[in-house]
Amino acid sequence: MDFQAIADHLSVANAPGLLSVELPRSPDKETKDKGRSGLPYLCVDPSRIVEFLTFCRDDEALGFEVLVDLTASDPSSDDENLWVLIQLLSVRHRQRLAIKCLLPKAAPSMPSSTKVYRAAQWHERECMEMYGVTFEDHPDPRNMLLPDDWVGYPMRKDYEFPKEYHGISCE
Amino acid sequence: MGILEEAFEENVLTTRVDWLLNWAKLNSIWPMTFGLACCAIEMMAVGAAHHDIDRFGAGAFRATPRQADLMIVAGTVNFKMGERVKRLYDQMPSPKYVIAMGACATGGGPYFKYGYTVMKGVDRIIPVDVYIAGCPPRPEALLEGLMTLQDKLRRTPVIRKPARLQPADLA
Repeated sequence: MDFQAIADHLSVANAPGLLSVELPRSPDKETKDKGRSGLPYLCVDPSRIVEFLTFCRDDEALGFEVLVDLTASDPSSDDENLWVLIQLLSVRHRQRLAIKCLLPKAAPSMPSSTKVYRAAQWHERECMEMYGVTFEDHPDPRNMLLPDDWVGYPMRKDYEFPKEYHGISCE
Repeated sequence: MGILEEAFEENVLTTRVDWLLNWAKLNSIWPMTFGLACCAIEMMAVGAAHHDIDRFGAGAFRATPRQADLMIVAGTVNFKMGERVKRLYDQMPSPKYVIAMGACATGGGPYFKYGYTVMKGVDRIIPVDVYIAGCPPRPEALLEGLMTLQDKLRRTPVIRKPARLQPADLA
């Protein structure tokens, strides 16, 4: 199935948590729409992401058995939201799906996807330390790459570089 | 060798103890296997047949700090690794030497401005004898660095105590 067919299938099946279908569009001067390039994706309610992913994995026609990527993004310092981006792959049906969840920067929190895809574990740990996204019920919420006592979330737009670490100057 | 020359019968050689010990020492500098990033690839090339660091007696890469004389810090040192670098250095038996290979180990290199976890030079935690420029340095540059270290050893007396040395001795 192509993206449109997948989106239609999910809409017809009334998949839990599906908010909107976002397609790339060209700029329009009359409506002052700046347009959007890139992949088509689905916007999903972050609080229902576990149910949504379970549906995508277990549905016969979709069969997304592989979690390719789970990452986050801080698009702009003006934006109030962080993005959590998920890429799924079905080897059987040769199809892919991009999912986006919007989380408020003030308290970014969503359920962990590890119960559906165990591959999500390390990806979520990296999101936690780099963007400060909290994944509830994560089985092992330690830092992935950074030292355990690291302060701040380096990939956030408002991140301030440390002046020193354990007495070693960073200047 | 001075007044003792030809004072003995044939097949007896005379020399200075300092010279002999230094000769033995500087032709058997065993480095520690210690690659952190892309510089390690060049270090491996130096160990291989074409450049052949064994010509200088430094080809016996040891997998433990307790058998090594020389630590070649080949690559980017971040804070998390820096703790391990310090510990490995402390485990090496004296006399011990350090070569900071490449831009990262020398001063942070390309990560100087935005590398929030990168230590801006390994000399902030351990003393460095020789710095090698390059990103990564050519294998010849590492050999040059090794020969520079050998020159330093050659100028360092073993028997006389360093406290009695005059500055002119080290020039």
